[in-house]
Formats: sequence, C-alpha cells, structure tokens
Amino acid sequence: MANVTKKYPGESRWKGWWYLLPALLVYLLFTFLPILETIRSSFYQWDGFSQNKVWIGLANYVELFSDPKFHNALRNNLIFVIFYSLIPILIGLFLASMLSRRPIPGFAFFRTALFLPQVISMVVVGVIWRWMFNPTFGPINSLLRQIGLDVFAISWLGDFTWALPAVGSIGTWVQYGFCMVLFLAGMQHIQDEYYEAASLDGANAFKQFIHITVPGLRSEIAVALVTTIIAALRVFDLVYTTTRGGPGETTMVTGFLIYRAAFTNNRIGYAAAIATVLTLIILIISLFIRRYQQQGSEEST
Amino acid sequence: MKKRTIFLSISLALMILLSACAKPASPTDQAPVAGTEEEVLLVWDQFYRDEESKVIETLNAEFEAAHPGVRIQREVKVLDDLRTTVKLALTKPDGPDVAQVNQGRNDMGALVEAGLLLPLNSYLNQYNWGTVFSTSVASRNSFTEDGKTFGTGNLYGVSPTAEVVGVFYNKGIFNKNGWDVPTTFEDFEALLAEIKAAGITPISFGSLDGWNAIHEFSAIQHLLVSLDYINNLTYGVNNVSFDTPENRQAAQILLDWANAGYFSDGFPGIGYDDSNNLFKAGNGAMTITGSWLAPELMVDTDQEFGFFLLPPYEGQTGLAIGGVGIPFAIRKTSEKQELAAEYLNWMISPRAAELWAEAGMLPAMALPEDSKLETKNLFGDTLNAWNTINQANAVGHYIDWATPTFYDTLVAELQKLLGGISTPANFTEAVEADYAAYLQSQSK
Repeated sequence: MANVTKKYPGESRWKGWWYLLPALLVYLLFTFLPILETIRSSFYQWDGFSQNKVWIGLANYVELFSDPKFHNALRNNLIFVIFYSLIPILIGLFLASMLSRRPIPGFAFFRTALFLPQVISMVVVGVIWRWMFNPTFGPINSLLRQIGLDVFAISWLGDFTWALPAVGSIGTWVQYGFCMVLFLAGMQHIQDEYYEAASLDGANAFKQFIHITVPGLRSEIAVALVTTIIAALRVFDLVYTTTRGGPGETTMVTGFLIYRAAFTNNRIGYAAAIATVLTLIILIISLFIRRYQQQGSEEST
Repeated sequence: MKKRTIFLSISLALMILLSACAKPASPTDQAPVAGTEEEVLLVWDQFYRDEESKVIETLNAEFEAAHPGVRIQREVKVLDDLRTTVKLALTKPDGPDVAQVNQGRNDMGALVEAGLLLPLNSYLNQYNWGTVFSTSVASRNSFTEDGKTFGTGNLYGVSPTAEVVGVFYNKGIFNKNGWDVPTTFEDFEALLAEIKAAGITPISFGSLDGWNAIHEFSAIQHLLVSLDYINNLTYGVNNVSFDTPENRQAAQILLDWANAGYFSDGFPGIGYDDSNNLFKAGNGAMTITGSWLAPELMVDTDQEFGFFLLPPYEGQTGLAIGGVGIPFAIRKTSEKQELAAEYLNWMISPRAAELWAEAGMLPAMALPEDSKLETKNLFGDTLNAWNTINQANAVGHYIDWATPTFYDTLVAELQKLLGGISTPANFTEAVEADYAAYLQSQSK
C-alpha cells in the first residue's frame, strides 16, 4: 500500500498545507492566543496594568458562581434570547413566506427595507431608540398620546417592568431582517412540486407552511438560531447606549458586567472569568443546536 | 527555486509578526533626530469641548513661547476613553509625560499603588503651590504611597478647574411669576410646591444615565450632615456608617419630591443631556447639577439663567458638593519630570485662571487681582457660590469616591428608590452593605 501512494501521480500532498499557513498564523495570533490569554488571566487577581499579578486559582470562579449580580445578568441574557432569537425567527418565517410564494410588486424594495436595521451600527441603533422611547419628546409616546392611550405613554427605558422588554424589542427590530433574508434564500431550494402535491391533497397554506416550508428550512433555522442566540448572549453595545444596565439592575447583562469589572473596577481576572464562562455557555448552546440540526438531516435522508 | 520563495516569504511574514509582538524599544534605542534639539512633552488631556480645548491650546502655545526648544505634543480624549487607556499608557517608557488622571480609588489610587505616578511634594514646596490651593483641595489629589488611603499622604496631581453642585434657575420664568431665589431650605420646598401649582416643572431631571441621581441625593444629604462626616465617609476613615438617620432623611426628601411630581414627567426614562436640553429650551424652572453646565447655558439660547447654592435649613450653614476637576499628574518613569512639573505649574497659573473664567469655567485658583472679567452673569453666579463655600469651609465631596463600587451601587439603589422598588431605609441599608464590605476588606 505504501508503495502505491508513493508512486501516485502529481505532486506530494503536504505542500497544500503551506497555503493555509498565513491564515492559520493570523488566526493563532489574533483569535486563539487572546482566548488562551483570557482563560489564563481568569486564574489571577490583576488590575490590568501593574506588575502585581497574583495567582488565585479558581477563586474568581467561586466568587462568580455565588455572585447574585452574575445570576441576574445571566437571567436577563436568557430573556434577551426570546427577543433576539425566537421572536425574530417567527417574524422572519412569516415575512419570508409572505414574500416568496407569490410575486409581489416591489419585492426588492421590501426585502431591502426590512433588512436595513441589520446593517446599521448597534451604537446608532441604541441612540435612535433612546430617542424613540424618550417619554417627553419621543415619537412612541407622542403617538400613544395622540390616539388617546395616555396610560401607555410610560417612561419605557426607566420603568422597572418595561425596560427589559423595551431594550429587547430593539434587538427584535435589528435581527428579524437577517432571519427573513436567510429564510428567503433557503426557500428557493424547496421544490415547487412539494407544494403542488400538497395542494392537490387538499393541504391549506398553513399546513403547507408547517409541513413543507419549516422542515425545508431546518438548516437555515439552525444557522439563525446560532447567530441570534450568540448575539443575545454577548449583547453589550445596545445596553451601554440605552440604559447602562438600569433602572436598578433590570437590564444588566453579562457583557456589561465584563466591561465594568475590567475597565471601571480594575478587575481583569474577574472580568476574564465571566468572559470564559460566557464563551463556554455559547459553545455548548451552539454545539447543541448543530447536533440537533445534524440529527434532523440524517432522519430526513 | 519555487520552494525557496515560499519558504522565504513565510519567514519574512513570521519575522514581521514576531517583531510586532516584541517589546517596544526602550528610549535609549531611539537615536535623537539629527539637527534638532527639540524637546517634546507628551500630554494627554480630556478637555475636548470646543471652549475648553481653546483654553488648553492657548496655554500650550504660551508655554512653548516661554520655553524655546520645547514642543508640546497634545492628545485629547473623551473622559471615558482617557480612563480606559491612560493606565496602560503610563506603564510604557514612551507613554505620556503628563496626563489627566481621574480622582478616586479606581483611578489615581490604583495608579499610585502600581507605582506609576510621581509624588509632587517637592514641587509643592518649590512652586509654593500651598498658596495656590488649600489643603482641602490638595487632599482630593492625595494618596498614601501604597495607594490605599485616600485624602492624605503624597500629592499626585494638580487641578486647573473647580466645580460646585447647586441650582440653575430660569430667570425669565422666575421674574414672570414673581419668584425670588430662596434663602432657606424651607423656602426652597415651598417654592417647589408653588412652581408645581403654576403648572411648570419645578426641577428638570432625568435619571436614565444614573450618575446625576447621585448629585440630586447628595446635594440634599450635604445640608443634613457635617463636614467631618462627609470627609470620613469619602476617605474611608473613622468607621462611619452610611445607614444613618440623616442619609435616610435625605433619601426620603428626594423620594417625596419625586412623588410630588417636582421632577420632569417620565424622568426615569430621560437622559442627563436630554434633561439639560429641555431645561435650556425653557422647560422647567430649575435643575440641580454642577457648575460645569454654565458655559453651555450661556450660548445658543434666548433664555437667561442664574445659579444659587441649594439653600441650607434655617439657621444652619449647609455644605455643598464641590471640588476640583480632574488633575494633571506626571508619569513616574518620565525623563522630563522637571519640565513636566513646570507645565503643571503653568496650568494652575493666574493666566490659566483668567482663561478658564473667560470660557465660563470655574478656575481652581484665584483670578488675578486686576482681572476685568465680566461677573454679572451666570459665570459670576457660580464663582460667587464657589467663593462662598470656600470661605465658609463648606466644600463637600462626590460621595461615589468612597469605595471602588460605590458609584454602581448608588446608581442602582437610587433608581430603585425613585422607582418605588425600595424604601429610604432599604436604600441606606443596601449602600451601607457596600461600604461596610469595603471597610472590612481594607482593614485585613
């Protein structure tokens, strides 16, 4: 056998690896090493600039798991998953099926307009919505007052009940366009014959949607889930520009805790520990979704 | 041949990458530029607003003119930016020689502890700074050498500007309704009710950003406590508590004002800048904030504003939150320490005082005796207030300096108090928990 490979026509295969090297170096240097360095820092007590770096083992993690602020932030992140991921995927599915099945005049315009929030910088989005939600001169409350719903004209971002849903719904506004475009692309791969056969069998539009469109979009839905859940778990800029975690701690998220620990409280080690745990959570969720997606595609073949 | 090219290009790429990771060259490696004897002083400051920046530019140009061969290389940053980058920059041999360093434990204290700032005691004597600022001002820029104790020990910075928290009021609204500036706290509260009854927002205020709620609370608190208490609390000495009847009372007053509708409608959802813009546009009779707002209220508006200290209870002298602005400090490893100290002295000169005053900002130092500055305006009001509390030894503190997490705790707890989630007693207990934990960690 060894002889066969040796005499195989063409040049030796190992050369191909050289082409990977530049990208690999960049990856190692700017992604992998910083991750390792973050994990290493999480075992130290360090302010980020002095020589005074003390190994404290797992103490940061012990503190983290008993920190009610971390529990609260993580819970808020999970609520953000509803607004960043579940609702946008439902809206995306709905809009995509509206736009894809029958020709609509101005299709390209709708697709672009609905996708637009996705391309605006998150900081700009935050500033815009802070103004939209302003209780005195924001358009949302002006509108509510004009149609006589004065009782609903509350101070959205400062309200202990409504601040989190308000910030979350900004996330929905940003993410649904992405889901829609993803699903629109996926729907082009579903053959029309399925729909024809289904309608001959008497399935209505809703049944077709549930039994043909949704299964056909399995891998697109998985991609949408992974990206939007990651966005929900690492949200920082939106909270920073709208509420800074307030009122009280109602919109506090782990990303903001990391920023605060690292840059205002000089606790790099503790910040690194939060970041490491957050990364692990994201990894586990992503693996879980991929597994589910693969299982699904095996079943369908 | 081909193989060699690939190998060479890879080695080259590696070398570039490795050299990028290598430590920066030490200053001795850098040959002086031929033909110039120019000495460059690298300065980082946070005076980014137009009128502030002009003051620094003028002072820098005059410094260069008075010191031939010296060039000032200035880098301006927004405060948040400066705070996050200056710490690391001060560890570098080519970092800023002079930088503005925020007061308090997380910034100046941490830098002193890391041994990165130069103690200025010898320059204090050399330049007679004792005649420029009081010991109370000096203690705000002082730490013990280990960076642990605030308010005492070595001097590490000098502040060019001063600040006092008080009440801005709309003169037009006051005149039209025949209201006078109140002189006692009782009158002030009566006035609040009167303004509210007239259908005007008494105090323009928004707590969305959080930090200015600390000022609203603490301004009231300062009327109820002694200077010793505020000093002890801020500098973490003599084991005082935050959970006191006075602090509870101050929280209760703040809550009563909120419940009586004395603040802007929907104030929990309004940011600091938005609330100021509403006030500047004539919405609201008063706003409680620092004198730093004065320059902004003197331009681009058809309204006329005045300033007074939150008046004390009848028969008492009240304290006011006040202090000096972010100080200039010198990097310990700088090779131009003498020149840097001269620059610091320049920044707190009578000339600097004059330029700051012209820009509408309170200077931390006395104005020249022959100053012809116009003071029958808003700036004059803030200057009067500052002089009043200085002469009465009634300059209080920003209480959020007290512990490294005090700011975050105060913001969250005040929002809970104003949102009706907690009571004044819950508030003082929660803040005391933070304070007691810090005192305990310090005594270990």
